Amino acid sequence: MESNWAAEHLQVIRTLMERSALYRRALAPIMIFNGVVGLAAAALGWTLKFGSPRVFVLFWAGVSVVAIAGSFLLVRRQALKESEPFWSPPTRRVTQALLPALVAGLMISVVVLVGAGLAAGRHDTLTEVLWLPLIWVVLYGCAFHAAGFFMPRGMKIFGWAFILGGCGLFAVGVPAWASPLDYAHGIMGCFFGGLHLAYGVYLYFTEHRRNAT
Amino acid sequence: MNPEPFLQLDRVIHEKGRLGILSMLAASPELSFTELRDVLAMTDGNLTTHIRTLQQAGYLSVTKSFQNNRPLTTCSLTPAGRKAFANYINLLEQIIRQTKPE
Repeated sequence: MESNWAAEHLQVIRTLMERSALYRRALAPIMIFNGVVGLAAAALGWTLKFGSPRVFVLFWAGVSVVAIAGSFLLVRRQALKESEPFWSPPTRRVTQALLPALVAGLMISVVVLVGAGLAAGRHDTLTEVLWLPLIWVVLYGCAFHAAGFFMPRGMKIFGWAFILGGCGLFAVGVPAWASPLDYAHGIMGCFFGGLHLAYGVYLYFTEHRRNAT
Repeated sequence: MNPEPFLQLDRVIHEKGRLGILSMLAASPELSFTELRDVLAMTDGNLTTHIRTLQQAGYLSVTKSFQNNRPLTTCSLTPAGRKAFANYINLLEQIIRQTKPE
């Protein structure tokens, strides 16, 4: 009986230790980097004026690869600088929390890409896939909200901003004055560029102030 | 069975609330009062009392500062607190080993 009691105590200790080990690497540089990439990509997409949804999906898939690779390098640099293992338990938990929603977004994109390929040449497909950026926004928000349980509290609010913003735009629909493609790039630029950049700048100043105190 | 490990258990740490505080701080360099309160689901008064007891035992240090013009209380383990916590874990493991059926 005493053994059970002691084992239960150890289990409680282990759970609390795991829960308190939050992901505390500086997020400001990662957010700012992703914000700049998002805004630059939206501006580029706006300028290049793609004619097909397939190119739109491939373009933003390429942008996401650049963003993920850059974030990976920034996290790795921070880990090396602080002599910490890259694949630390908090990093592992954050990655596990992010993955389901991100994989769902990837699978939906692949299906749309295949469908867009089959329907190449049809102009109406552009309007048909307009819901895709909003799906990405909502799923991205879900991913960050889930990761927020292992990160500082602001990350959950950041996730909610994506979820509510994406759902709100779904409800409003595409305005009559907007060109579908420009509107899609605008959504991507505002959410993946603007929101990341705004949160990154906020974190930059608050992290600095906290370190100073 | 040898009752020695059980008798050596630190009474200050043995209380559930204080054990929770030390467990969380053992895995993190420092935590704010709010973070501790939210995860451990304690009231402000309860947490303050436990923090004071741990501080008096020399296991915890408390820092008061300001963040965005709001007061920020952060807690961290002292070297004595870390040692006492490690000792407590060792004693629990000893108790489990002793009572484990062969």
